[in-house]
Amino acid sequence: MTTHDVELIDIVKDFESGGKLVRAVDHVSVQIADGEFFALLGPSGCGKTTTLRLIAGFEQPIAGKVLIRGLAMEGIPAYHRPVNTVFQDYALFPHLTVEQNIMFGLQMEGVNKKEARKRASESLDMVRLPDVGARKPHQLSGGQQQRVALARALVKKPAVLLLDEPLGALDLKLRKNMQYELKALQRDVGITFIYVTHDQEEAITMADRIAVMNEGKMLQVGSPRQIYERPETVFVADFIGETNFIAGELLERGPDGFGRVKLPDDTVITAQLSGTLSRSSGPVRLAIRPERIGIATIVETEGEIIDPGEFTVLDALLIDSQYIGTDTRYTLRIGDATELVVRVQNISELDSSAIALGQPVTVYWHNSSTTVLDN
Amino acid sequence: MKNRWRRIRQDGVFLALPTILWLVIFFVLPLAVVLVFSFMSRGRGGVAIMPFTLDHYQRTFGVFFIILQRSIGLAALTTIVCLIVGYPLAFFISTRRRRIVQQITLFLVILPFWTNFLIRTYAWRILLGEEGTINGFLLSLGIISEALPLLNTQLAVLIGLVYGFLPFMVLPIYASVERFNFRYVDAAHDLGANDVRTFTRVVLPLTLPGVLAGCALVFIPSVGAFVTPDLLGGTKGLMIGNLINKQFGGSGNMPLGSALSIVMMAVVMISLLVYLFANRREARA
Repeated sequence: MTTHDVELIDIVKDFESGGKLVRAVDHVSVQIADGEFFALLGPSGCGKTTTLRLIAGFEQPIAGKVLIRGLAMEGIPAYHRPVNTVFQDYALFPHLTVEQNIMFGLQMEGVNKKEARKRASESLDMVRLPDVGARKPHQLSGGQQQRVALARALVKKPAVLLLDEPLGALDLKLRKNMQYELKALQRDVGITFIYVTHDQEEAITMADRIAVMNEGKMLQVGSPRQIYERPETVFVADFIGETNFIAGELLERGPDGFGRVKLPDDTVITAQLSGTLSRSSGPVRLAIRPERIGIATIVETEGEIIDPGEFTVLDALLIDSQYIGTDTRYTLRIGDATELVVRVQNISELDSSAIALGQPVTVYWHNSSTTVLDN
Repeated sequence: MKNRWRRIRQDGVFLALPTILWLVIFFVLPLAVVLVFSFMSRGRGGVAIMPFTLDHYQRTFGVFFIILQRSIGLAALTTIVCLIVGYPLAFFISTRRRRIVQQITLFLVILPFWTNFLIRTYAWRILLGEEGTINGFLLSLGIISEALPLLNTQLAVLIGLVYGFLPFMVLPIYASVERFNFRYVDAAHDLGANDVRTFTRVVLPLTLPGVLAGCALVFIPSVGAFVTPDLLGGTKGLMIGNLINKQFGGSGNMPLGSALSIVMMAVVMISLLVYLFANRREARA
């Protein structure tokens, strides 16, 4: 039996803004398992931070239920909930030393000073900052403050750790390191992490599961792979990574999860349908990742073995190419108006200069690489 | 020589020169005069004459000590009452979400300054007098059977001082709370602190600079107040300011007044030092 550490049941939260009610969280339901690294991902203002604050108890939902370890949290103030938060700006108390900051939560529990000091020191060791206990937060770098915030929250041994864009204020390199460390730390302590971020890469590399939010709604919940490979809405496909969208018309749905789609230039191709596609015919959008498309010059194609039953092969014109180090990013046109972006890894130095602009080429992809979405 | 000249120019001494002259002529010199006067004897008409004497200081700490004590006591009490009333008020104002509400409430705090302080203090005479508004109201309701002695008491002075100096407490605390990041309240709650402990362990320490500034701004003028005790205190509420005021009048005693002034200044200096010390500890802590 899997236990749910956190369960949200049909949560609704409104805010008043300029005399108008704005729905920040719109009927969100989700179950987060014990020990899971769960990311809430979305653009700013999508309701992810509000969702986190509802779990922490800083905000109260106007409808719905928050359960933590099976207990309804209604009426339970933040200071009695078994969760701790790492704030975006860390919110380390500026008038206290690092050690006092970490001891604060323990002293509120009634832990005696000696024991609190010992646990604070262990906690600082855990985040690999053993020697800063006597310093004030402002004497630390951003990365160090981040670790102290983490130590201060983890020392309380919460059931769930809530992290509100904890790496947002750090520079890129430090952020990468901390991503790795946070993930390792989470595995070690085995505490459920709920991690708010607007950085899709961060969510994909760290999380066990991701919930993509937009305009207060939880659009899709799934593993990073599911979210990336099988987006269920145009928003998710667009928000996570780079995606080519091709407008098309669904002609028929097959029983195998594939359908026949007519492209703007009247070519008909076979494409995999999204599991949540509602319509059975009519205008749809075809999503395909740039790295899933292959390019071949005509000469090469003759030599390759492509099963026409599983692959889509189209003629295209190369209109731009952009060298970006690891990859080359080609812009192609199929038909009259549809542009496609294709990423090809630069395996040898020749790859990036192999195709000339204006050259007719062939593009191909596996039919399952596409996802047909509601328009 | 040339180098030195350049350094003086660069240090901006010339820019400060008018101010320095002003301070020397109108502050340092008069202060020196007061200090010297305080050690001189009283001549006819209350002027200072030779020889030097410690007489006035002896009287200050002798017969007038009770008034000195009362002044410090009333000023301290004023500060405490202003703090108790002012902190919640400042907190209320600075936590209003809508800017306009903040501005209006702040405006209301400052509004009394539009009327002359003397007139406002006279108004308290009307309120507190034996046939005044408060007594009249209570009598008409039958809550009391005879007029309460409100005017010409230390209580009246306290009320007057609190009324007069409350804005000086509210404004610096307002500025402090305004700058306070309420994320710290979330953080404290998150770490298990209830509202009371969040206040004592986080909010109060972080708004202490405003509290200290407010206390200094209320205590210092309260110690030297003379309009309020003069109008509301009668003989029972006499403060050191009144005493000093009297010494420089017609049949006064300028050397005694000077000695009282020096002692009062010392009290103010000590309270300022306490303020600076507490503030520095706060900044370091």
